[in-house]
Amino acid sequence: MGMASESRARRRRPGLSPAPDLDLELDVFQGPFDLLITLVLKEEIDLWEVQVSHIIAEYVLRLADSEEFDLEATSRFIVLVASLLEMKSRLLLSDDLFGDADDELDEEAGEELLAALARYMQFKRAGAALAGLYARHAGRLYRQAPLPPRYLRGEACADALAPQRLVAALAPLLREPPVPDVSHITDLAVSLVKELRRLRGLLDRRGSFTFAAVAPRDRLQKAVTFFALLELHTRGEVTLAQVHPFADIVVAPLGVDRAQEGKAEYAPPRALGAVG
Amino acid sequence: MTRGRLRGTIVENLRPDFDPASRVTVSHPARLLEALLFISPRPLSAAELADACGLGEGGLAAALAELHDEYADGRHGLEIREVAGGFTFAVASDCEAAVERFAGARRPDDLSPALVETLSVVAYLQPTTRAAVAQVRGVSSEWALTSLVERGLVEEDGRADTPGAPIVYRTSARFLKLLGLRDLSQLPALEEFSLGADDVDAIRLRLTANAERRRA
Repeated sequence: MGMASESRARRRRPGLSPAPDLDLELDVFQGPFDLLITLVLKEEIDLWEVQVSHIIAEYVLRLADSEEFDLEATSRFIVLVASLLEMKSRLLLSDDLFGDADDELDEEAGEELLAALARYMQFKRAGAALAGLYARHAGRLYRQAPLPPRYLRGEACADALAPQRLVAALAPLLREPPVPDVSHITDLAVSLVKELRRLRGLLDRRGSFTFAAVAPRDRLQKAVTFFALLELHTRGEVTLAQVHPFADIVVAPLGVDRAQEGKAEYAPPRALGAVG
Repeated sequence: MTRGRLRGTIVENLRPDFDPASRVTVSHPARLLEALLFISPRPLSAAELADACGLGEGGLAAALAELHDEYADGRHGLEIREVAGGFTFAVASDCEAAVERFAGARRPDDLSPALVETLSVVAYLQPTTRAAVAQVRGVSSEWALTSLVERGLVEEDGRADTPGAPIVYRTSARFLKLLGLRDLSQLPALEEFSLGADDVDAIRLRLTANAERRRA
């Protein structure tokens, strides 16, 4: 990076120079294209010669001096610096990766860049014309008082509903709807306690039995039966056996003297290990 | 002067020889237009005016011309302007300062160069998206677009039917008013601003010169 005194002198230009009294005029350098155009056409600076760290240091100093913190301006400054860095790093790439061998590619990219810059300049110039119109007309005071309230009432459209029909349409919504008949929905008929009692009765009378033989038809009741069997198993009252998965479950009493347990429905469960 | 001593209108008292009939200067249709423009808070299109006054195309044009003449050349504190798709009253330029003092009105803030650029891209490419604006400017224009929307110069107008469904931006009626345009067709043509071959060559030269200086 050439750091000749000449290039240093060049850097001392509005917008980029690190002079202490400098106003950075960030709006002028909003975008890379803008920046590039300015650099290329006005500043005559090779990007290599722009010391970004100087600009940042200068800006931070200025920030410290100024009383208020302008978030917007600072964000734009960051964008500016980021753009500069990006452009510089792109220059590095184009030199090192493509070298002179890829002149054609360079040329193509150059033409693309040129087209983009020309298009950008076109909009920038058009913008200047719009800004001129804005400067001339923006201050104009047009009639803008609101319409007097009595003119605000528009006429009802021709096919609007008569008020009576609207009432008739809305009234049913205000009435309490009839309570639906839910008599066909039954409460859950089995409780776990009842099912435990039934199964113990069966164990006493029959000894062993299978799940399929004693389970009720209803899915939910079947689930309660199954849960009751697990409960009995947990308490060590029965063994549960299955020939293979999904086969019927054979329930056999384990010969516990339930009389000693005091027939407690919810005695503390015994260790499962007791059951084979 | 108390109410009791005042007979007739103020004008009659100040100018006893005043004859109201002698002051009628515009035709009845023109007066109708004047009334409508006075009462409407927004510019009224020719169609709206013709409809409300029951005038044909020719009649409307004549009445408008008449009214325009009546309010032209600094004869009144108001003038008639064609802006944002219609006709409306505006305060005459030389009376604006007094109105601003009275109403505390302030002219809209100036636009920063970034906003002007973004506005120009939206104005000429509309309906357009944030990405399209960024592509032209070579920089993310999110802040500038948001700021233009906040100022009411640009409006969101639904979403594009393209991948990602980006928000579509357009200029607003306020944009037309602030730039004194009747409609978008009055925008200066974008072609007027394209770079001449000389300008393009100049940029190309500088670019290549820079590139060669780097290589050297």
